[in-house]
Amino acid sequence: MRAGTILRTVWLIAAVGFMLLPVYAMLVVASAPDDTDLRGLVFNGFHLPENIGLLFGEGNLPTYLRNSLILCVGTGVLDVIFSAAAGYAMAQLSFPGRRVLFALVIGTLALTPMVLVIPVFLIVKELGWVNTFQGMMVPGMISAFGVFLVRQFALGIPKELLLAARVDGAGEFRIFARIAVPLLKPALITLFLVHFLAQWDNLLWPLIVANEQELWPLPVGLANFQSEVGFNYHLTTTAALVTAVPPFILMVALQRYYVAGLTFGGLKR
Amino acid sequence: MSVLGRVRARPQATAGVALTLPVAVFFVVFWLVPFLAAIYLSFTDYEMAGTPNWIGFANYERMFADPGFLNSAWITVVYTVCTVVPTIVLALLVAVPLSRPGRLNRRLRALVMIPAVMPLAATSMVWVIIYSDRGLANTLLGLVGIDPQSWLTSSDLAIWALVVMVVWKSMGLFVIILTAGLQALPGEVYEAAAIDGSGAVTTFTRITLPLLRRTLLFVLVISVAGSMQAFVPAFLLTGGGPADATQVLPYYIWANAFPYEHMGYAAAMGMVLLAAMVIVSALQFGFLKGGDE
Amino acid sequence: MADLTRRGLLAVGALALLAGCGKDQPRQQAADGRPHGEVTVWLHGSQDTGQQFQELVHRYIAEFKVDVKLLYLPVGQLDAKLLTAFSGGAPPDVFKIGHWSFPAHAKKKRLAPVDTKALSLQDYEPGTTTPLTYQDVPYGVPIDFNPCMLYYRKDRFEEAGLDPDKPPATWEEVAEYSAKLTSKDRRRVGLQWLYGDPQWALMMLTALIQGKGGELVAADGAKASLATEQGRGALAYMSGIGNPKLSNPLGALGLFYSGEAAMVVSGAFLGPALEKLGKDTLTFGKQYGVAPMPTWAGGPPVVPAYTWGWGVAKDSPNQFTAWHLVNYLQGAPSVAANLDNGIIIPTRGWRDAGPRGTSEIMKIVADSLPHVDFGPIIPGTLELAKAAASAVDSVAYGKSTPAQAAATFDSAVRLVL
Repeated sequence: MRAGTILRTVWLIAAVGFMLLPVYAMLVVASAPDDTDLRGLVFNGFHLPENIGLLFGEGNLPTYLRNSLILCVGTGVLDVIFSAAAGYAMAQLSFPGRRVLFALVIGTLALTPMVLVIPVFLIVKELGWVNTFQGMMVPGMISAFGVFLVRQFALGIPKELLLAARVDGAGEFRIFARIAVPLLKPALITLFLVHFLAQWDNLLWPLIVANEQELWPLPVGLANFQSEVGFNYHLTTTAALVTAVPPFILMVALQRYYVAGLTFGGLKR
Repeated sequence: MSVLGRVRARPQATAGVALTLPVAVFFVVFWLVPFLAAIYLSFTDYEMAGTPNWIGFANYERMFADPGFLNSAWITVVYTVCTVVPTIVLALLVAVPLSRPGRLNRRLRALVMIPAVMPLAATSMVWVIIYSDRGLANTLLGLVGIDPQSWLTSSDLAIWALVVMVVWKSMGLFVIILTAGLQALPGEVYEAAAIDGSGAVTTFTRITLPLLRRTLLFVLVISVAGSMQAFVPAFLLTGGGPADATQVLPYYIWANAFPYEHMGYAAAMGMVLLAAMVIVSALQFGFLKGGDE
Repeated sequence: MADLTRRGLLAVGALALLAGCGKDQPRQQAADGRPHGEVTVWLHGSQDTGQQFQELVHRYIAEFKVDVKLLYLPVGQLDAKLLTAFSGGAPPDVFKIGHWSFPAHAKKKRLAPVDTKALSLQDYEPGTTTPLTYQDVPYGVPIDFNPCMLYYRKDRFEEAGLDPDKPPATWEEVAEYSAKLTSKDRRRVGLQWLYGDPQWALMMLTALIQGKGGELVAADGAKASLATEQGRGALAYMSGIGNPKLSNPLGALGLFYSGEAAMVVSGAFLGPALEKLGKDTLTFGKQYGVAPMPTWAGGPPVVPAYTWGWGVAKDSPNQFTAWHLVNYLQGAPSVAANLDNGIIIPTRGWRDAGPRGTSEIMKIVADSLPHVDFGPIIPGTLELAKAAASAVDSVAYGKSTPAQAAATFDSAVRLVL
């Protein structure tokens, strides 16, 4: 019995350690003064601040960072609002077109976005949104995953709770805002995080829509930085580290909700 | 009740429509219309200029004569199987002991999430370095006496290098989902098994796995869908090379659209990929239904 | 039947949106002869000449009161952005793209012909605007013109017992020297090819096949084949030299810099680039030298070349100003500043623009001008090049025989041309 416990603990620590090794290697290489040691095992001095300084010295990085935050937080909040409303309604309200809408939303999960780039660009152009924040934000604003996640979660809200509120004379919108939204909180926070992470990585769409560097988010700016100065291992890694920081902070802050929201979809039908 | 029901139904319908309207409009404008346009394009010779001409099924027929498509389709199958299976097996192997209570396990669960939240662009950059000549992968091999390998520039190894990165990246998420699924299982069953004197392996295969079926299916569905659509890892890590060894289908579709401008052909391949995904998903859900009796 | 289905979809509105992009709207061009208004320029960034280029643009803005908007784009994503913009009817006025992209854009009527009132093509070296000309209409002017030449490491030659002052002149010698320069474990090689690079694979195959009197692409551009004696021979030849598994963040050029590759075929830009990488470790004439592009023994000289070019969109409302700006950007100060960085703007007299013009590298460029070959100037070039790279790589990696790769190449390009 005791041997089993020790074995289990050793296996777990080894497995988790192995999963973290690349993250550690990233930190080591990002702190290196040059490209001489790429093993990523031993710190060769700690030049991380200088390397970050070099990157920010490029001038536009603060702008890219700001744009990325606007993009990710902005669309994240909108996704949460719209998905909460739609997901709740699909789970708990009966209204015409519910099934059709659900099929429409779920169907998009299987679509490969790359064949839609040109049609979506034409639509964005018709709307006059080329080279605007709306143009970058709106087409990726609501995700099928979000609507689906909230719906799955909302299915778990007890019917009696809603019925009791209705008997008390509460309006449907009031029930949504006062009863459903607080119960959906873990799912909504998960959704925000997932959305943030996905948008944070988005390179191609902003590149295609934005015609001014002033509008570029971080991934586009970094891709350009790389193509301008060439490939340089340690600075590239520093850049990777910089882009990974905001998601990390968000994850640490929201982890408990994240896990709760994420696991629900797998357990309930 | 029926009268009451009808009275209740009206505000529900109004609220339901009002709450879903923005989402409905959004999906029609930014998904349904482009999707219908893409279906239409898949039957045309649209080359990103001029008016599209209807050419029937020519684009679909072309795929069978196109070595690039056949190569990519095969690579996608290999890639999907080889990322999904190890990810789930490894995630289970970690999740089962990790789901036990305890402070250490709680800490480890938090750490396991880190790879999952790394941006994919950052992940790819880091793994390029891990796979470089003097990088971590070769250093670790050196410790056990194996010669350094050319991970990303060898046509035999590149796809596996890609697979390892993706398994690493997605494992943490699945560990967390499976852990939560395991923790939700009823404890009495295990006690009964312990009284029976079942061994750990028997308990796992006879009791844990069947009870975990729904969670496993959820993990399976999202991981298969993710792998079949994976574009970014190949785009950032290998550029589809070397010698087209990592040219997964989404990458080939992208290349046919940009820069080759065969939008009609790319759309047709997108439809085939879509059909494949629908079939695979249906099989997975059928599997679940069958198991439910 | 087909029509009915079409109409059905039209009702959904999908086609209505698409039709919008196909319309050819004749744009009202402003009165010629005087630059004015606004011009947008898309190009990829370059560390070397970026500063000088921006100063030049600012001077243009001040002198001609034209609002010039520059957008630097990552070179790997410029194509996707430009194509989306074209098909959406929102292209920039001016853009810098590879010569291999010009025929496709020209065929799709996206390019404005060179406005000779704003820019004189007579200023350019004969032949250097050929790849930017489609069906006898000139659509662009060259910048960063690079005929191929052979770079070799003198130090590696010496080590291997070869005369460091006698670089190989023929492909036969290249193979012979490479054998001597390749280590047993193949971590150090003689000539290293640029694996995975489509344009470059096309250039090398062109040199090897045409040098033997063969033909990769038929003169009318309607047919291409590697399933010829010369084609299979070229694939076999390439697979016998170099090691595709060697890796370096800068590719074969990085391997040449590190010395792992003793020879590499590249353009005029490489010399100055090597100087910048390591002034102390690698000096021209000492550690490395250059030689003209090799030929087959007794065969004709074939010097593959590529160039980037400035183009102007047909949809630009301000074409005259666009060409006027391009002409300004190609003027004498640019020629001099670029030459200093090893980047050639091939206007007449370019070699006199600066001290580097007399260098050995630039002499090789000048001497090779009569033999320069830009490869096929056809709309399918991009895919042709990709298929060429796939063929070269699959043989080099031992995944297929030259005959198999040639057959795959032929069936792939048949769909394209």
